[in-house]
Amino acid sequence: MSHHIPEVVIWCLAIALTVAVVLLMRQRTITTGVRRRADQLEDGLRARDEEIGHLVRVRLPAVADSADQSVPLPGLLDERLAGTVFAQGMQSVMELFTRAVDKAQARADQSAKAALKASMRSLQGLAHEQQLAISDMQDRHDNPDVLRDLLEIDHANSQFGRRAQAIAVLCGSWPGRQRVASPLTDVVRGATSRIRDYRRVRVHSQADVAVVSRAVEPVVLAVAELLDNAARHSQPNTTVEVSLQPVHNGACIVIDDAGVGMDGQEVQQAVAFLTGRRTVDVSRLGDPPQFGFPVIGVLAARYGFSVSVDTRSPYGGVRTVVFLPSSLLTQLDVDGPDTTPLAPPSRQSTRSQRPGGRPHPRPVERTHPGPVPPAPDAPPPVTGSTAGGLPKRRRRQPAAGHGRTPSAPLPAEAPQERTAEETARRMGAFARGTRNGRADRHQGLDRHEGPARHPDRAPGEDEGNPYA
Amino acid sequence: MTPPAPRHERGLVRPYVVTDGRSHPTRNTFDLVTLVMAHEDRPLGGLSPEKRRLMELCLGGALSVAEIAGHLMLPVSVTKVLLGDLVDSGHLSTRAPIPSAQLPEAQILQEVLDGLRARL
Repeated sequence: MSHHIPEVVIWCLAIALTVAVVLLMRQRTITTGVRRRADQLEDGLRARDEEIGHLVRVRLPAVADSADQSVPLPGLLDERLAGTVFAQGMQSVMELFTRAVDKAQARADQSAKAALKASMRSLQGLAHEQQLAISDMQDRHDNPDVLRDLLEIDHANSQFGRRAQAIAVLCGSWPGRQRVASPLTDVVRGATSRIRDYRRVRVHSQADVAVVSRAVEPVVLAVAELLDNAARHSQPNTTVEVSLQPVHNGACIVIDDAGVGMDGQEVQQAVAFLTGRRTVDVSRLGDPPQFGFPVIGVLAARYGFSVSVDTRSPYGGVRTVVFLPSSLLTQLDVDGPDTTPLAPPSRQSTRSQRPGGRPHPRPVERTHPGPVPPAPDAPPPVTGSTAGGLPKRRRRQPAAGHGRTPSAPLPAEAPQERTAEETARRMGAFARGTRNGRADRHQGLDRHEGPARHPDRAPGEDEGNPYA
Repeated sequence: MTPPAPRHERGLVRPYVVTDGRSHPTRNTFDLVTLVMAHEDRPLGGLSPEKRRLMELCLGGALSVAEIAGHLMLPVSVTKVLLGDLVDSGHLSTRAPIPSAQLPEAQILQEVLDGLRARL
């Protein structure tokens, strides 16, 4: 019996060994599986960590920096994560962030615009005030040396005013000045007045149209920006040629420079601004800020004219064409607005009967611009100019004692005009008194005392009478 | 709308554009009462708009410098620059001012003054 014991032990051991081996094998498989899983999970964790890092370092900054929505933003780093809850969470973080950035940008833009607008408004006011002061001084001082200095100051002030105006317009403000309808030539020369190299600008043909009152200032501003661009991007010894062309349903201002021109990308950018396709962001105009095209684009969109810059000039530079539709144009009557409102009808007849008033040889083709009409806007021209076909009544207009007629009052010049009128009345009374006195004294004598004045003086005296 | 006063409108084309930046007339013969006469045979083509207007004014008869400045709504000094150019180019000629008329006697003046005072 005793020899059975080792056998049993051996069997037991064998069984135990087998079990142990099986268990060991199983354990090994399980361990491998677990290890693999752990590795996988670790990988996943690392991927998520990296993804988070990518989000913080790349994706969010990209959102913050992107100027517009058109550029695609960077996506997930690891494509395996796509569609997971984690990825969706990241996406919503991105969206929230984008929204926050947009809102902050809008707010910043708005407040920048508001601040700029307010300060430019006050600068505009100052520039305008200064211009009036300079004009006064120009009137007062007759010394050419003083005039030279004043012209320089005037020039600097005009440019300064233009800058302020342009920025204000870009910030959503109005161009700011109300002007009367002015001949196109005047408008272009007005624009010329506001750029640095005004002496290089040559205005050629004189179109026989005028710009309606509300569009004068915007067109002046837009053309000034274009002329400034043209002059600044061309050699100082070249000229900038401007020609005015009436076209089928409007008029064109064509500006040619002999400068360096623009490359394709610049043209594209300019066109985007000019057509209003690209929105203007005050805080992203570059350094130094490029105001020109955005300002023109804003004005063109607001007032309904169009500007194209995509043609090459025959001079090698850029050809810019400003197209003004008929709705922005008007015809000034033959005499021009600068005379009619001030020339009362009664005066015209006096003038026409005047012996010395030889018919004007040159029926003015109302092209000459010159200082813009001071006149009240529209109404007087109708009554004033046509009858009699007299092209010239200017003589009557601004001289000291005039301007009084019931039919054509000058509401604009109320304060000064009152005193002038009064002066004129007194002068008239004086002249009459003198004449009466003389007539009383020497009955036989001619009523017109003194040596014959110049023919032009006679009506001048007559004019005094109505004031008495 | 209140129409702007003339001075505002004068602001559109500035004087330095009118004179092309010059401030000194080519000749120093003008004062406020110098009379200027236009020569009708001269062509107006090629003149700047202001010069053309000036010529158109003067073709109507002789005018004094002050009057021309007033009509063109330009400062007198600027007008002188334009006038200097036009005289140089033969478009204009100048004439000394006409001597003033015989002055009324003091007694008449006094009467007129009394009359005016009574009336005003």
